[in-house]
Amino acid sequence: MLLAVALGALALASIASLCIGAHAIAPREVLDAFVRFGGSDDQLTVRHYRLPRTVLGIAVGAALGVAGALMQTTTRNPLADPGLVGTTAGAGFAITLGAWYGHAGTQHAQLVLAAAGAAIASVLVYAVGRTDPLRLLLSGVALSAVLSGIATGLRLLDPTVLDAVRHWAVGSLAGRERTPFGILVGVLLVALVAAVLLARPLDVVALGGDVSRSLGVNVVAVRTGVLVVVAVLTATATSIAGPIAFVGLLVPHLARMGAGSSTPWLVGLSAVLGPTVLVASDVIARVALSHTELPVGVVTAFVGGPALIWAVRRFGVEAA
Amino acid sequence: MPSRTRSRSIAVLVALVASALVGCGAFDDGDDGTETRPFEADNGTVEIPVDPQRIVATGYAVPGLIELGAPLVGRSGFRRGLPLMSEEDRAAYGEIAEIAGDTNTEMDYEAIDRLGPDLIIIGVPAPALKRIDMDRLASIAPTVAVGPDLPSQWRELTYRHADAAGVLDRYDELKAAYEERAAELKAKYADVLDGLRFGHLGAYGEVSQGQFQREYGGSWGTNIVEDLGVTYYGEVARKGGGARDVSEYPSIEELPSSFADADVITYTLAYDASVPPEVQYAFDSPLWDNIPAVVAGKVIPLRFVESTTYKAARRTLDFHDESLSVLLEGS
Repeated sequence: MLLAVALGALALASIASLCIGAHAIAPREVLDAFVRFGGSDDQLTVRHYRLPRTVLGIAVGAALGVAGALMQTTTRNPLADPGLVGTTAGAGFAITLGAWYGHAGTQHAQLVLAAAGAAIASVLVYAVGRTDPLRLLLSGVALSAVLSGIATGLRLLDPTVLDAVRHWAVGSLAGRERTPFGILVGVLLVALVAAVLLARPLDVVALGGDVSRSLGVNVVAVRTGVLVVVAVLTATATSIAGPIAFVGLLVPHLARMGAGSSTPWLVGLSAVLGPTVLVASDVIARVALSHTELPVGVVTAFVGGPALIWAVRRFGVEAA
Repeated sequence: MPSRTRSRSIAVLVALVASALVGCGAFDDGDDGTETRPFEADNGTVEIPVDPQRIVATGYAVPGLIELGAPLVGRSGFRRGLPLMSEEDRAAYGEIAEIAGDTNTEMDYEAIDRLGPDLIIIGVPAPALKRIDMDRLASIAPTVAVGPDLPSQWRELTYRHADAAGVLDRYDELKAAYEERAAELKAKYADVLDGLRFGHLGAYGEVSQGQFQREYGGSWGTNIVEDLGVTYYGEVARKGGGARDVSEYPSIEELPSSFADADVITYTLAYDASVPPEVQYAFDSPLWDNIPAVVAGKVIPLRFVESTTYKAARRTLDFHDESLSVLLEGS
């Protein structure tokens, strides 16, 4: 039931994303952009800007939602955020360093830097903390603090670096039409499929190491696989859209309302609710202010906090 | 000595001392005897030397005072102005001690103190002023803040900087040269510009937010070419203070509506004559090709638009002449 409702909400959010934006477009024109394309400015806007933005929102939202669900399940910590494996801090540090040396001036450059930084940071965190979920979290927090500190220092030393990084650092789905996100969305899809395949064994791992081994599940392999998938999902999403707060933290809590203790259902619902939350936030970001758009990262932070408090108070906090 | 004579002597002595004190006040000398005068600055009325000999300048005061040959002993960075400077002025810039970066956020107060200035001229906008310890600067030397609110204010600003620095003679020379050339070009283009509505695409759009920059009259990209008779129509949807009173950052979705009524579109070219990525973002949009001015082929680049001194702006006029000459073809 919740899945049907979630899918319906996603469909509505997606339609709103195609119809609503800085420039008012009649619903008929939105429809004609797909069924009777005539090349008008409104139809071009829908196809070249709003459609890619919506697709990106769905892909990034699913990635962050699923990564959050896997992270909270693996670490058995309901406050675990996918960024804790160091991906967000690694991406931010790489872009800052690139800007310091004058190589982060274009979107393509930032994309490559963010992906590389996120990947390297994930590998480092995994190398230190792979043996234990708590150790993993602590390693991620420690590395994130170090990288964030150095990045902040560089930005303060050179205001031009701050200027180059500040807009990426907020997180946005706008202005990404020309980035090669087709490849990145492909990577996300592969990682999402892997996440679904890992969900059932992860369900068993959640019962404990001894039980898992007795049922023939390789705990280390499953945890390693999950961490790799989390790193790939988060690194890819962050490199495209920048750091977007709260989606990875909030969505699993919403998903648990219908998933209960089932990890496959948790992953599946997160894959639908994540895009719903992100796309809906992006629509709000376009219309919240009359004279300009907000970055979606601002909206998710603004809305995510109260939404998380509501979810926890309403439904309690189940051990992941 | 009889008491009456003594009293008279004392009275004369007091009168002489009083006269001397009043006379000293009228000359208004500084603590070290330097002659001073009151100067109206953004930070109030400040007593400054009549003829300063050791000036520290920051922000927009830097290029102007270098061009005017003011006696600078220290300056903040102003790298954005270097391409606009003559070789001679660039050399002078390089020889002056740097006491703050380009954004003036990290000012080396001790270095300023060591330079022993007799006047400090702060040429930054009001928001940047909040990051400067004006009291500390004032403890070193008389400090005047003269900064812009709008891009087009460089004309007035340069005058006030020159006034404070005591180099108004040279200022008048450079201003006259600029105005003469502007008048000449205005006459040259009067007929072709008559009735034309211009729109300007700026180079500060935020591509990562899916935005372009739309500039109106009095903005960085437009204020100098307006002296040639170009008219930029429209205004910002919502004023945000400072440069945001004359430019805005709409979503790329609004590109067609923003330039719909323009007969001619001008855009900012980089100093090296390349198209900035922020401008290219608009060019690459499928929405750009349907704009009437684009369809008509009336898209003109403008170079060196950010001149903030008469000498640099004089050079800008020549570049604008080159750009606008296409309008004369076929007219």
